[in-house]
Amino acid sequence: MEGLLTPKKLIIRFVSALIILAAVMFICSFVGTESISLKRIFGPADLQTAVNPDYEIFVHVRLPRIILAAIVGAALACSGVVFQALLRNPLADPYILGISSGAGLGAIIAVLSGLSWTLLGRSPIAVFAFAGALGTVWLVWFIGSLAQKPGTIGLLLAGVVVNAFFSALIMFLISVAKSQQVHATIFWLMGNMAEEDFLVLWLGAGCVTAGILTLFYISPQLNALCFGGNDARSMGVNVAATRTIAFAVAAFITAVAVSLSGLIGFVGLVIPHGVRLALGPDHRQLLPIGAVVGAIFLIVADTLARVVVAPAQLPVGVVTAIVGGPIFLILLIKHCRKVGWSGK
Amino acid sequence: MVRQMSIIEANKLSFAYREAEALRDLSFEVSRGSFLAIAGPNGAGKTTLLNLLCKTLKPKSGSIKIDAVPIESYSTKALAAKVAVVRQEVLPVFGFSVIETVLMARTSHYNQLGFETELDKKIANEALEATDTAQFALRALGSLSGGERQRVFIARAIAQNAPILLLDEPTSFLDLKHQVGIYDLLKTAQLEKGKTILAVTHDINLAAQYCDEILLLGADGNYHIGETKDVLSPEQIKKVFGVKTFVGRLGQEKFFIPLGKFAKGSRLTVVEPDSNKQKKLWHMPP
Amino acid sequence: MNKWWWLLLIILCWSAAGFAIFGARQNQTCTDAPPPTQVTRIVSMAPNLTEILFMLGKGEKIVGVTTDSDYPAAAKIPKVGTFWQPNIEAVISAKPNLVITLGFEQQRNLARRLKRIGYNCLTVNIEKVSGLFDAIEKIGAATATQSQANLLVSHIKKKLDELCASVGRDHRIKVLYVVQRQPLRVAGRDTFINEMIELAGGENAVGPTVHKYPPIGAEQVYACRADVIIEPTMGQKDLTAQQDSTLEYWSKFKNVPAVANKRIYVINGDTVSRLGPRLDRAVEAIAKCLRPELFEN
Repeated sequence: MEGLLTPKKLIIRFVSALIILAAVMFICSFVGTESISLKRIFGPADLQTAVNPDYEIFVHVRLPRIILAAIVGAALACSGVVFQALLRNPLADPYILGISSGAGLGAIIAVLSGLSWTLLGRSPIAVFAFAGALGTVWLVWFIGSLAQKPGTIGLLLAGVVVNAFFSALIMFLISVAKSQQVHATIFWLMGNMAEEDFLVLWLGAGCVTAGILTLFYISPQLNALCFGGNDARSMGVNVAATRTIAFAVAAFITAVAVSLSGLIGFVGLVIPHGVRLALGPDHRQLLPIGAVVGAIFLIVADTLARVVVAPAQLPVGVVTAIVGGPIFLILLIKHCRKVGWSGK
Repeated sequence: MVRQMSIIEANKLSFAYREAEALRDLSFEVSRGSFLAIAGPNGAGKTTLLNLLCKTLKPKSGSIKIDAVPIESYSTKALAAKVAVVRQEVLPVFGFSVIETVLMARTSHYNQLGFETELDKKIANEALEATDTAQFALRALGSLSGGERQRVFIARAIAQNAPILLLDEPTSFLDLKHQVGIYDLLKTAQLEKGKTILAVTHDINLAAQYCDEILLLGADGNYHIGETKDVLSPEQIKKVFGVKTFVGRLGQEKFFIPLGKFAKGSRLTVVEPDSNKQKKLWHMPP
Repeated sequence: MNKWWWLLLIILCWSAAGFAIFGARQNQTCTDAPPPTQVTRIVSMAPNLTEILFMLGKGEKIVGVTTDSDYPAAAKIPKVGTFWQPNIEAVISAKPNLVITLGFEQQRNLARRLKRIGYNCLTVNIEKVSGLFDAIEKIGAATATQSQANLLVSHIKKKLDELCASVGRDHRIKVLYVVQRQPLRVAGRDTFINEMIELAGGENAVGPTVHKYPPIGAEQVYACRADVIIEPTMGQKDLTAQQDSTLEYWSKFKNVPAVANKRIYVINGDTVSRLGPRLDRAVEAIAKCLRPELFEN
């Protein structure tokens, strides 16, 4: 039975992934528009200004960005895994059920309302985007449950409709907004890894990790759900509870990710597939390892975004699409040659 | 014949999809360890009945008791310990392997960390052996043929270790060899493990050969339940299915060949309801 | 249920630890800002801020500017990113003890981040002419050059008054100030460009609009009956080259007075769009377009 997942195998793979993550974080923290060196970081401060710029850049600019990228990458990857399982659709991504347009709408409303207070040092855009994302998901869930056939089709349709409607609203608001505000919103929405306050990073990491742990706890049930709600229920899985928890937690960590860094696409679509094709569809493995791979992917993408067209910065979403797209295609072609995923 | 305690009791069961009534005042009992076939024309409510028996649907009126306990008072996990279901072929979108699929039946028995215990693995292996699918254990489900996949799903149901097995048309889309293979498998499960089996089927001949009893559901809400040799008769089949049949005998059971207007045999055979006038056209030696 | 309680416990402990470790630092912003007299390394995040600093005599103290700070020519200083995308690493590498930014979202964000790290930042809003004077005074206060700042402000104001006097208040000339051609966008009433137009003795041909820089269609172009059309140079192009293409573009609007009378002008866009200390020259450039006869000498 060597093909079967055991706790030992999972731990070995997970720890290996973590080691790679640590290495990537270390290497990428030395890549940037300014060159810094390990020696100078721990060296003395500059005599004239009493400031050690290498240390400042390392600790206050690079490290927070990398940690942020890790958090957001892990959240989006796990959320993608869950939505693909819940909707039994390999094309699902975290934004499919309205989170992206909800966050965008929240962000635009925040900008237009001109509020300037901050929560924990986060600008109102982030808070409104978070609220918008969660509110929209709740709306989609509600509409989906009103549909005749409670289940995945109702949710998908509700998500498509809500997305379209909110996107139109966003376009409308953009057209009547003043150009400066619009610029700011679009810039924010395109995905950016501005480094954050350590407290925010700490809490964000806590939220996302707790979410991923919760999802890991219910991954046997998620496995069963892949065969459909009826089959899963016949096997003793509480389908309604599993669906609700998975949906709520995945939506929550996605909303956290979006409020931290704007909309970054492709991570939630490509990473679940990649890990699944490499290691199999067992969610007890997909979730923890997907999280780590998602973190690695986004850290690398962000680093590339910072240096490829320096001194300008590409939006991270552009890099994830350009890098993720071809990788995904290669994986797909390689896999379709193997028998096994005949689908419908 | 002493009636054993019924493991399933349905009392005045009614169900309707919106306005279309599927079942009306259906009452029957299934004894422990018996093999019941459920047959009837399309739309008579066979799958509906199965779904009612595994609590996927709730009846409009009437009650169901599993092991003398009303079905409503079973939690999902408790019901899964009593009833295992094999539905029409479901191919998951993601490529689970055979052993992973079969092990999923043990989900409610996993340990705290969410992993299978040794007992779970043993039971799954036994189920694979019983269904002769052990050689596929590590292959992806999608890479098997239809018949092999069906056996895997039955293995999963067996691994669930539930006394009742519900199957929805387990042999549709299968070739003759696999049809017979599945029914042999089910019969073995009944005889060696004492499982109670309810199978929805279109194939009344196989039902006659393998099942103890048959429940014939008519589209009009009428139903007949009893031993196969009693319930199945050309008149009954004409009434329920609306089809003329050529009937023959095979031991205690009959077999039926449905004949339409243009069938080759429709002008040759004469179907006589009365056994006195029945022309013995063909008779298998005892 | 055991594992769920454990999870809850871990979350609570984690959050509490977070607040304990980092919560204190929240209140600690930049407490040790150097006094204005010791501001020796300045980073300017906008071209008009650079110009102001040079005019206040602090030019050689600047250690970082954005890529579009090209005036005065002496500004051969390391670049720290662009106006829209500041590069925080470059800013830090320049080891500044004062960073001056404008007030719009991206730069305000930068200021916030730098303040959190502990750098001394000054954010000024230069969206109106009055804002410019305020900004000059604030920058003067931050760099211990208050007297130069006051001098600069009064100098600019004097020049503007002189200009206003010479152009007079009666008979405002209708001006259409074009900021973009595809699609056609003009400066609206709620902009500093409008203020400059009025200072130069003109009146915006376009009425009050929702947008600051509204896109307008052909019928509005006809309806506004502009007497003068002004286009700033886009980019570093030759003035004469743009003059030709401009005339060609506007030739299709034959019935607009500005086109009929060939009163279409192309001016150097930098002075106008920057709203900086060369304000008087910008207004003068506009006034020259409106009343060329006054400036013949």
